[in-house]
Amino acid sequence: MSAVITLDRVGVTYGRGATALAALQDVSLAIHPGEMTLLLGPSGSGKTSLLQVMGCLLRPSRGRVQLFGEALAPDLGVEALAALRLAHIGFVFQHYNLFPTLKAWENVAIALDLKALPRAQQREQSLHLLERLGLADRAGHYPAELSGGQKQRVAIARALAGGPRILLADEPTAALDGKTGQGVAATLHELAHDAGVAVVVVSHDPRVEPFGDRVLHLEDGRLVDDRRPPRSTA
Amino acid sequence: MNGLDASRISGTSLLAWRNLSHDRARFVVTLVGVLFAVLLMGVELGLLLGFARTTSGLVDHTDADLWITPAGTTNVDIAGRLDERRRFEALAVPGVAQVDPLMMQFAFWRKPDGGTESVSIVGFNLATGQGRPWNLVQGTIEDLQQDDAVIVDRLYAAKLGVTALGQTIEINNRRARVVGFTAGIRTFTQSPYVFTTHRNAQRFTFFRPDQTTYLLVRLRPGSDAAAVRDALQTRLGRVDVWFAADFARAAQRYWLITTGAGSALLLAALLGLVVGIVIVGQTLYATTVDRLPEYATLRAMGAPNRYLYRVILKQAAISAVFGFIGGMLLVGLVVLASAGSTVAVAMPPGLIGVLGLLTLCMCALGALVSIRRIMRIDPTSVFQ
Repeated sequence: MSAVITLDRVGVTYGRGATALAALQDVSLAIHPGEMTLLLGPSGSGKTSLLQVMGCLLRPSRGRVQLFGEALAPDLGVEALAALRLAHIGFVFQHYNLFPTLKAWENVAIALDLKALPRAQQREQSLHLLERLGLADRAGHYPAELSGGQKQRVAIARALAGGPRILLADEPTAALDGKTGQGVAATLHELAHDAGVAVVVVSHDPRVEPFGDRVLHLEDGRLVDDRRPPRSTA
Repeated sequence: MNGLDASRISGTSLLAWRNLSHDRARFVVTLVGVLFAVLLMGVELGLLLGFARTTSGLVDHTDADLWITPAGTTNVDIAGRLDERRRFEALAVPGVAQVDPLMMQFAFWRKPDGGTESVSIVGFNLATGQGRPWNLVQGTIEDLQQDDAVIVDRLYAAKLGVTALGQTIEINNRRARVVGFTAGIRTFTQSPYVFTTHRNAQRFTFFRPDQTTYLLVRLRPGSDAAAVRDALQTRLGRVDVWFAADFARAAQRYWLITTGAGSALLLAALLGLVVGIVIVGQTLYATTVDRLPEYATLRAMGAPNRYLYRVILKQAAISAVFGFIGGMLLVGLVVLASAGSTVAVAMPPGLIGVLGLLTLCMCALGALVSIRRIMRIDPTSVFQ
């Protein structure tokens, strides 16, 4: 299957001159649909920067990024990048980033509202997604009334609502207990395999590792390992 | 649903409403700010319009097409004298159907229990009624046929020491008798209008029988008003000939602009607008800063900037609508209270519309600071 994201000798440097900090150096890789890729590495190794580059949130200082085989112009404007994210990419965050004033289904519906779906369809699809993630009975609750695992599943439902082909998750299990974290990791794995979504997960969490089809290891901004574990849950 | 059916309204409207309603204390502060601004703007602009109407009330309530005034006249309350015989010269101009004299002169009103007030004597042609009082609530115009009869307004009855019809007083040391009351005929000069016949007015003010203040012209149907005005101006020489509407505007301009009264009212209304912008700006900005992570999340999800602006502007619009309703209720109370006073706050539908627009603009301007902050939002901040 052809790659959804391709990075070719990508580098990211923050700051200039003596204070310049290289967050990524010469990173080349390809992300494929239907698999869950884990991005591992110590703090400061460039995982989040790499996720941001893949998510069209950060323009690389050097190198080339391709999305579905199309090279992103280095001078692409912020609104154009936002349009790409809206069309193709879903995000799951460590601290869920749900809207506290909206109920679970309304949080999911926001992603559909961005795509200008009629309100009735927004509600219907949001409820369907929440049901699929086992949250049908929590749809009318505010985030403050949900457990950590439930919040993260609402966040996953929201990320999936726009029908993305790429789902990027930043430490999605870090704030969850062991069993809940594993459940979330399993959900992401299923999404990759059942829906054909390219799932990339940044994680420090060893509980997530068994669910990865592929593991990328970063150190000091360089990709030092790219392997497919022999024992995947797939 | 916090009072809203979330399955019917758009995501931006829902977010806007929830952002406001979930921080009730701040929302109340915003609403009080808008309400105060609407009250201040409404009362000041209503006063301005009320004063404007008062200054030109006498002109507006005649059905004359043209006013002939002594040369250099700037307003209807203060004027020199005209030779009434010029009326016949005016009648000779083609297109002129009718010419009526109208007297206007300050005089001294001696109250029944002593004390003196300044009044404006308005003397009109009883035969045609041109310049007669309006809103007559007691007595009849015909009662003025008596030699000493006058009509005053109830608003000034206490000031003039009048308690009942038939009461006698003195105007410039001549006996006069109150035969009627009007309701709501105000004067900007605070010298109440005293209506009487043209002949009586001449007596009260020591005008000669051939003197008057104004000549009010009615045109024949189909005549060219501008041409008749020019012809009158040429024929009569040293007088001013005005269209009624122009003379009314001149009176308003004179009292409201040259005296500075209008500027003071406009300045106070502007102050209300500025106060509103500052309060709405501050509270909306505080709400926006509190919710920056949520805006950054939306941006990361791919929301275009205009989506975020819509949320902010809808918050401003919601504040505007609620604040406007509350403010207008208070303005309504002020208007009702002013109905019985000598200072009127006017609030026609057009002014309500203008206030509504000003409130929306005020809140939109208040939202600009928040929008500027949102423009600089970095979606990568969601990963920090």
